[in-house]
Amino acid sequence: MSKGFIKKVTMEEGALQYDFSRKILKNLRGTPVTERQPGGEKTGPNDSTMGKDILHLLPYKGEFLKPCPGTTDYICCGYQILNLGTNCPLDCTYCILQSYINQPNLRVFVNLDVGLKQVFQQIDKQPDKIFRIGTGEFTDSLAMDPITRLSEHLLPLFSRRRNVALELKTKTTRVEGLLASKYRDRVVLSWSLNSPYIARHEEKMAENLDKRLKAARRCQSEGFILGFHFDPLIHHPGWKDEYLKTLDLMDKYIDPKGVIWISLGSIRFMPGLKPIIRKRHPNSRVLDGEFVTGLDGKMRYFKPIRIDQFGHLRENLEKWHSSLGLYLCMESDDVWESTMGWSPGETAGLSRYLDKRVVEFFG
Amino acid sequence: MNIENDLTSIQYTVDFVDIDDSPGPFCMSFGFELEPLIQSIQNVGMVNPPLLIQKKSGTYTIIAGYRRIRALKFLDIKKTPCRILSESRVSELECFRLNLHDNLATRVFNEVEKGMVLSRLTSLVSQDQILNRYMPLLGLPSHSEKFFFYLRLEKELEKEIKIHLAQGRMSLQVARLLLEIGRGDRNRVFELISALNLNINYQKQLIDYIIDISNIKRIPVSTFLAENFFSDILQKEGFNKPQKVKALFHSLRVLRFPTLVRAEENFSKNVTRLGLTKGVKVSAPPYFESPHFRLEILFRNGTELKEKLRILTKKEGLEVLGNPWKERV
Ligand code: SF4
Repeated sequence: MSKGFIKKVTMEEGALQYDFSRKILKNLRGTPVTERQPGGEKTGPNDSTMGKDILHLLPYKGEFLKPCPGTTDYICCGYQILNLGTNCPLDCTYCILQSYINQPNLRVFVNLDVGLKQVFQQIDKQPDKIFRIGTGEFTDSLAMDPITRLSEHLLPLFSRRRNVALELKTKTTRVEGLLASKYRDRVVLSWSLNSPYIARHEEKMAENLDKRLKAARRCQSEGFILGFHFDPLIHHPGWKDEYLKTLDLMDKYIDPKGVIWISLGSIRFMPGLKPIIRKRHPNSRVLDGEFVTGLDGKMRYFKPIRIDQFGHLRENLEKWHSSLGLYLCMESDDVWESTMGWSPGETAGLSRYLDKRVVEFFG
Repeated sequence: MNIENDLTSIQYTVDFVDIDDSPGPFCMSFGFELEPLIQSIQNVGMVNPPLLIQKKSGTYTIIAGYRRIRALKFLDIKKTPCRILSESRVSELECFRLNLHDNLATRVFNEVEKGMVLSRLTSLVSQDQILNRYMPLLGLPSHSEKFFFYLRLEKELEKEIKIHLAQGRMSLQVARLLLEIGRGDRNRVFELISALNLNINYQKQLIDYIIDISNIKRIPVSTFLAENFFSDILQKEGFNKPQKVKALFHSLRVLRFPTLVRAEENFSKNVTRLGLTKGVKVSAPPYFESPHFRLEILFRNGTELKEKLRILTKKEGLEVLGNPWKERV
């Protein structure tokens, strides 16, 4: 996917006063630009394209840094989300953004400098707390990097702080901006992985696994610390062997000693996503599994199926390397116990475990 | 447009033989009950005379008051005072708006009628106007997706299904699901809904199961619907409707959630095997999602409670209680 996937830029009134807007427009020279009133374009979440070929530049009025909205019913990793934009050009069939975002288009928040200033004030005020921060919750962290060049901007700011780890999570190979930067410290480059079957059928616009892992190898060889996320794990015919194929690729390309963490998360979604997936992706297989309503109201696989998934992945990942910082995403204490053989007990426990990994890798 | 400037109607008594009493181009009534209106006319007479347009031929078309005229005819009344507009004085859009506002002032449109209003509007005004001006009037958000959905509802759904929807016997969500499956399949599903007299919750569940199971089996909905599975249950001898509904949903659930149903059955077998005292009940959490099981003891007094607890703690095999699958670690 080249920069050419953006067919049009729309700007909210006043967006042009920000340097960041001007930089983006420079990278998109020749693309038509129009101005738009705040909230001017309405869409329902079922609209088929979600305006993924339109880039909308606007100042963000909310908080840039927010804790990940975990629930008390399951153990959360205590992550902080740096919200720099919403929506994503990749359009995975299972993407929860389809039901979260009732505003169309790829949205980039151009008052970034003001926002980051507040974020760093908050971080610097608490030097003893480790902030694990990610930008990949409401978008893919690197999908738009060739246009926004955000990584270049963020790396120096995060690298110089001692109490942070910035995680950039992606399914792309858009690492040129990162590799061009001289900063490596306090940055985790993570790839979302799945089975080759799921990558082919449900992540059609993302890079294939071989390319993702080759990009990861390149970054590792250039000094970056890596993370991986098997999330969402999806049950499908032959899933056990299919996931092993991905593990084989990891073994082929990656040195496990440079992996700070690997998360395992079984597919989960709000019930409202189901009709959207049916409508937008009628050939998707992600709804085939035995979904039940979880304690948080989200649909998730019936527990023994999740246990089977996690157990299989854990067993085989640990054959690869014994210290991978494996953890479960949004799972209950009993599922932890029965698949990992231990449990952090609660969100604070998992946070401590991951913070410890940060200290081990970055000091 | 300011209707008031053009609306100079005259009022006189019109014989019903001169009125074209088909629903006509401005009618927005569907699936209504005539009885309350008949009673109201019997009690207090016609409070608000129908509004008609006189055509060049001398006959009349109803702009507003279709239901009133139907009710009067039912009461065997042959003529009634009406307000009359001349065809040359008002446009089609103005007539439409007169009807719309006449209705909005007195009642809430049902979902089918909303579809009719939006569908008629497509030939009269721009889509932008429909979204921003008329959808809020109908209590709908100005979303194009909603707009197209209502158009499909009006154009594609069969009359019987629309009647169910208009009368509140089917939810909008179910209508949406029915629209997603093809016409033939839809009619077959609707036949099932009608034959078993399913309530709104069951209707949704049934369609969900049918779509999910067809997807899982990788067969078209029509192929799944043609399986003997359905006819066998519908024709089960000695079963009344609620029993057939129960049997159908159990069978569908087994197909949709084989692991869960197996676990539930195993758990229940384990509990039965324990032979707990009367008034002592052990239940699993919904879907076994929470780690905690529940014990309930019915007792009349402390002595009875003590006795039941004593028997319970002595019970052999209580250890089998728990998740009815093999834990991994
Ligand atoms: S990469 Fe992530 S954010 Fe983008 S579409 Fe896929 S799941 Fe959604």
